[in-house]
Formats: sequence, structure tokens, C-alpha cells
Amino acid sequence: MRVELRQNAETPDPPALLGGGFTIARWEAGRLAVYEADENAGGGRPFLGSVEFHLGRALRDQASDLDLGKADVVELGPGELRRQPAGRRVWSSSPVRVLALVFAPRYEDARVREALALAVDRSAIHTVLLQRQGEISGALLPQWLSGYAFLFPAAADLGRARQLAPGARPITLGVSDAAARPIAERIALNARDAGLVVSVTPQTANADVVLAELRIASADPAKALAQIAEALGLPAPPREASPNTAPNAAANASPEQAYAAERALLEGFRVIPLIHLPDVYGVGARVKGGPGIAPSGEWRFDNLWLEGARP
Amino acid sequence: MRFRTRLLLIFTVAIVASVAVVDLLVLSRTRQAFERSETQRADALVLQFRNEFDRRRRELVRTVNAIAASEAAHNIAIQPDYTQYYDYAAPQAATHDLDLLELVAADGAIVSSAQWPARFGYKEEWLTTGEDWKLRGAFLRREELPLGVTLALVAVGTATEGDRKLYVAGGRELDREFLSTLVLPAGMRVLLYRNLEAGFSPSQLIDAAGPAARPALLRPLIEQVRLERRESSRIVGSGAAAESFHAVPLPGLDNNLLGVLLIASSRRDLVELENSLVRTGVIVAAAGILLGILLSWWAAARVTRPMHRLADSAGRVAAGDWNTTVDVSSADEIGVLARAFNRMTGELVAQRERLVQAERVAAWRELARRLAHELKNPLFPLQITVENMLRARDRSPEQFDEVFREGTATLLAELAQLKQIVGRFSDFAKMPAPLVQPVEFNALVGDTLKLFAGQLAQARVQAVTDLDAAVRTVPVDPEQMTRVLRNLVLNAIDAMPEGGTLTVRTAAVAGGVRLEIADTGQGLTPEECARLFTPYYTTKTHGTGLGLAIVQSVVSDHGGRISVESEKGRGSTFRIELAGNSV
Repeated sequence: MRVELRQNAETPDPPALLGGGFTIARWEAGRLAVYEADENAGGGRPFLGSVEFHLGRALRDQASDLDLGKADVVELGPGELRRQPAGRRVWSSSPVRVLALVFAPRYEDARVREALALAVDRSAIHTVLLQRQGEISGALLPQWLSGYAFLFPAAADLGRARQLAPGARPITLGVSDAAARPIAERIALNARDAGLVVSVTPQTANADVVLAELRIASADPAKALAQIAEALGLPAPPREASPNTAPNAAANASPEQAYAAERALLEGFRVIPLIHLPDVYGVGARVKGGPGIAPSGEWRFDNLWLEGARP
Repeated sequence: MRFRTRLLLIFTVAIVASVAVVDLLVLSRTRQAFERSETQRADALVLQFRNEFDRRRRELVRTVNAIAASEAAHNIAIQPDYTQYYDYAAPQAATHDLDLLELVAADGAIVSSAQWPARFGYKEEWLTTGEDWKLRGAFLRREELPLGVTLALVAVGTATEGDRKLYVAGGRELDREFLSTLVLPAGMRVLLYRNLEAGFSPSQLIDAAGPAARPALLRPLIEQVRLERRESSRIVGSGAAAESFHAVPLPGLDNNLLGVLLIASSRRDLVELENSLVRTGVIVAAAGILLGILLSWWAAARVTRPMHRLADSAGRVAAGDWNTTVDVSSADEIGVLARAFNRMTGELVAQRERLVQAERVAAWRELARRLAHELKNPLFPLQITVENMLRARDRSPEQFDEVFREGTATLLAELAQLKQIVGRFSDFAKMPAPLVQPVEFNALVGDTLKLFAGQLAQARVQAVTDLDAAVRTVPVDPEQMTRVLRNLVLNAIDAMPEGGTLTVRTAAVAGGVRLEIADTGQGLTPEECARLFTPYYTTKTHGTGLGLAIVQSVVSDHGGRISVESEKGRGSTFRIELAGNSV
């Protein structure tokens, strides 16, 4: 089975794309990962003999490959999703990615950061650019995971943003993913309405703020929050530990503690969460069984098989 | 300056002035004609450009209406939710070669924008308020883009399905690319000033190649159009690089001035034509002037030739050749003048002959009178002596011998005087030609004066000499010149019976010497001065009247000139000028 992804992992070791039932057989960094069925898997050998992950493929190319039958599973962006033919199977996870603006540590002006946070019209981005995929949120963790995401304000307040904006120097907004550029452009337009001058650039290294997509890597809120903080280079979220707190207490943090930790992370507007996005995949007609993706976004290929394939 | 030269100069000046005036007039009229032609050409070019611009406007309207009339646009119009069409405009704009394309919902909200995709949902209120654009076809609009403000030619179409309406606003940016795609005649270029800022901004002036070079040159014209809001023309630059600019204001939907279109027409051809004309004019004028000068020279020579002959003849007459005549062949004023000249010289010759004859007669009479006078004085004693001798022989024979001796002695004395008188007349008649030789003139003068030292002292006359050292040897006959000096000194002594001062002065003058002998005697009247050198004229009782005549004769034989200056009671000065003085 051939799977195509946007992800471009340039790591020496292969990413853990597939778990039980498959073992890595070939790894070409940033381009190809081939997994083969583990004959000795605990749960029994998967139906699929091997799975090829082709990395770094543009969404448009993936959709094209799916249409031509060259790929069996591809990622679908909002634009591709609405263009899928009727009857095409689509696998969708819960929102497991967060789209956020992340300011560089050197950007000190908290008023401007807040002004940008208040200027962004998440609703227009969600409705039009994302075609209503995902959930608008002002929190890092999605509602399904934390249960308190709605407590973080996500509505734009242009009036307040304009009050905060005067004196701001021009801001560069870096976005490396071409698919996310329209979102960045819209943010720049919103910022312009607030009196901020934001220019979009594909270079992220020296940008004042970056439009980043972060994956929720754990089903545990505290752990996920810690991973996000680490990925963003933010200080680790504080823990309200008691004398009896065990070393793995983070995994067992209460919702209040997780909320307080996330609130602390978001104070100062270093990170401005925008929208939580699900993983959405288009599935070819040959692929049977499934769905091949868990609500948390993990692959589950052990129950899939290909029509006409010989075991 | 010779008459011919002056005449030639006058002719030349007249010809140059005439040719210059005619040349300038011709050039001026030709330049005006060319200017009119150039203006007509520029107007034609401007009209051609307007047609091209109108064609582009109509083409834009057609394109936008075609998009609005498309099935896709109508399909979008009836959709309850426009969100999935936010990226519809960009490919459509590319397909129809539009820089700008927006789909706008009936409430003015942007459904999709090609030029600024992120602006979906924003309101384009100018489309829904007033809808003046319906009457304008394609019109200019100030458009905001992510990278700034631009000027665009915009047209609007509508896709209407029942009560659903979708606006389609498409346009082309008025930028370098737009200008470069305009089909323009040769020698023409178009510039555009985008009036998007409060003041004049050089960066907003563009042509088909990009930012216009030297925008400051066009600033006055642009400022004028911005101020007056009407078309204006101006020539910018100089020489072959000059261009004729026609500025057209470009109003927007609200009649606000959004741009100034500058249609430039090169004046290179006109300037080169004018330069060629000027060169030809100069060459023709120079050739005309040269030819005129040659003809003037010929005409002047022809006109002045009789005048030359007249002048030469007059010169010869002045030199003493009174028999000179001028050949007369024309009946014009010159001919009249020549005939008058001939008559005049004829009259002069006749008068001279009559005068000579009269003078000859007068001279003979004077000679006869003088001779009679001179001879009568000795004759009277001769007669008395002879009568005494006859009377003595008749009345006193005893005394006859004594009377006879005395008589014969008297007769001999008187006869000697008669002989002397006759000899003097003979000398004057036989004045020899001068034997000229270089003579130290000052020494000659000094030596001659020394001879009269005793006589001067006796006559109580003081001699004063003022001899110029610059006077050296002079070609004269020393004997005759001594005689001249002697006569003049004696005359001076005779003129000062009561004594006085005799001044003898020499001076070197241009080409010769001057000798002055001045006395402080009784002086002469003008009438006496006029007749002084006439032979046998004298103011003295004992003179023969030949002294000054001989002086004049000698001076004349030496090629010199003698004159007298005198005033009654204040003395006289005789002045002799001789040629030659070897320095």
C-alpha cells in the first residue's frame, strides 16, 4: 500500500509512523519509509504485506496521485477535500494539530503580540480557508483533550487591537508551508486593519513570528502541553505538585492544574493558538477495511487490506 | 577708402542683409509650416492612442462581461454559501489575462479576489452604493494591493439569477506591462503618472520600460494638469532629443484625478528636417552672398571705371596736364559729368592760353617800361654831355678840349652803366641749368652769411642762425643756391633800413629740408606778396625786379618751392623747401 504525506522528516532514523504489526524495512531520509508486515506480531500478521510512506509530497500532487490510482492513502487539505468526488472514502481524526502564531523569543513587545492576537479573525480563516475543518480555539490543547479549551477567548477584538498597535514596528510573519500561506496572508490583512504592518515571508528563521502547526503527540493533557512547550522552546509548564506527587505526576495532573499550566504558557502572547485541525486522508478504492486512523491520529493499518492483492 | 571698395562694401552689406532677411523669413515660415504639420501629426497620434486606449477599455468590458455571463459565475451566484469559491478568481484572472478580478456578493462582500486572495469577506461598498459604474464601461480605479496602491482600469459585470446577484469586477493594472502592450505608432511613447499620492511623486511616473527617466522634466506639465484638470501640451527637452508631450487627465469613478497620461511624440524628425533646412538655407545664402559679392564687384568695377577715368583725368589736370580729356560713351550722369569735365579742361586750356598771352604782353610791356626806365637814366646824361660838348665847340672853343675830355669821360661812364644794365638782362635771360651735387646745406648757409658780415654790421642788422643738425647733404647747385641766399639776404637788409634782426633757419622735414629767411622789416601787403616773384616787379626804387624772379627760377629748377609770409609792419619770412636730405 502506498501512502503519501506532506511531512518531510529529514532525520537519520525513520519516524515512528507505524506501530504494531509492522517493522521498518527501508528508510530514505525525507523521502521514503517502507514498513513490512511483522510475521511474528503479537496480534497476528497484518493483512498488508508492506506499506510505503512517500514523504514531502505536496497536497495537490497527493490528490492527483489518488485520482490516478498511484497512491492509496493521501492527506487532504481543505481545498482538496471539497474537490473530492462523491463516494470517495475519507478518514478523519479528531483535531490533533494546532495552528498557532509563535513569536520569536527576541520579540519583546507584549502589547504588539496581544494586538496581533486580538486582530486575527479566526472565524473567516476557519470558514473559508479551512472550509470549516477543525475547531476555532484560543487554547493549545483541543477541547476533546482538555475539556477547558472554550475558556480561552478566541474572538477578535479589533478595537482593542487598534488601541494596542500604535508605535509597533513592522512584523515579519514566516510561513514555510505553502498550503498555509493564504492563512498567513489573511492574518496579515487582519493585522493591517488593526494598524499593524505584517509582511509574510517563506523564511521562518529570522521572522518575528511564525505560523506553526503543532501536533498533539499525547492523549494526556499535561504531557501534550509539555511536549508543545518543548517544541516551541517555551519554559516547561509549571506543575502544582504536592509532597505526595509521584515522578510521573504530570501524566496524572488534574484539569485545573492543566488549565493553569496552559494559561501560564499563553500569558504574554508568545504563542497565539488559532485553530485545531484534524488529520484528514483520502482513501483509494483498493483499500478495504478500516478506518485506518484512530481519533487521536495514529495509523491503524493492521486491519486493512488491498483489493486484489495477494496475501 | 576707394570709391570702388566703398561701393563694393555697400553692395555686400545690402546683399548680406537682404539674403539674411529672406533666409530668415523663409526659415521662419517653413518652421511654422513644419510646426503645424508636427502638431497635426501629434494630434493624429494622440487620436490613435485614444482609439487604442478605448479599444483596450472595450476589450476589458467584453472580458469581464464574458466572465460574468459564464455558467460558472451564474452557478456561484445561486450558491447559498460562497465560502468554497474564495480561490475561484485567481485562475480565472490568469485565464483571461486580467491583473485584477474579484467576485463580489450582492451585499458587497468579496467572495474571491485574485489580486488579494486574503480579502474575502471584506466589503467593496463602491459596487453597491450608487452603481455609477454601470454607465462608465471601463473606468479608472485606485486599487489597494498587498504591496501597495496601484492604478487600474476596471470594468464590472453582473451575474444575476433571480434575486441573486454576483458582481464580477475585473481589471488591468495600469503599469509598465500595460503600457508596453499598447500598440503605438513609430516615434511615439506613452508615460503614465499615477496620481496616487498627495504631491508629485517621481516614482509614480512610469513608461513601458519602468520608472521614467528624468521625471523632473515632466513635473511642470503634470502639475499643470493636476491643477487645471484639463489636457495640456508642452515641448520637453531640446534639440533632436526634444519631445512633444500631450498630457491627458485620467479621472476616476468620482471624477477625481487618478492619473495623467503623457503621450510623447518625438520631434527628432522635425528637428533633423529643420536642421537640414537651416544647413541648406545657410549654404544657399552663402552661395547667394558669394555670387552677389562677385556681381557687386563686377558692377562696382563697371560703375566706377568712368569715375576712375574722371579721377585720373582730374589728377592729371591738377598736375598741370590741362589737355587731359575723358572718353565719353554713356549718356547717364557719369557721361554728363565727363562731358562737363572735358568742357572745363577745354575752358581751362583756353583761359590759360589767354592768360599766358596776356601775361606775355604784360611782361613785354613791363620789360619795355623797365628797359625804357633803365636806359633813359643813362641817356639823359649822354644827351646833356653831347649838348655841352656841341655848345662848348660853338661858344667856347678854348674850353672845348676840357669839355670834350670831361664829356667823353661822362659818356664812357654812362655807356658802361648801359652795358651793365644790358648785361644784367642778358644774365636773367641766360639762367643756366643747375649742376646738382651733394652739398652740406648748413655749411653753405653759414658760409654765405659770413660774406655779409660787414654789410650787416653797417646796416645795423643782427644775424641770427638756427641751423638744424639733422640737415645734412642736400643735392643742389652750390653756386645758384648761394646766389639765392645772397639775393634773399640782400632783400632782407634792404627791408630793414633802420636795422633789425635777420633770422636764418634750416630744418629737416619729411623728404627734404626747409630754409627760412626772416627779417623784421617793413613787411609786405598781400598784393605785394602776390606779385613779388614776377620778373621786373620791385618795391625798391633802385631794383631791377629780377632778384626774386631769379630766386624762384633757381628754386624751381631744383624741384623746390618758395613762398613768402608777411604782414605789413612786422617783417617778412621767405620759406624754401627742397627735396632730398641724406641723413
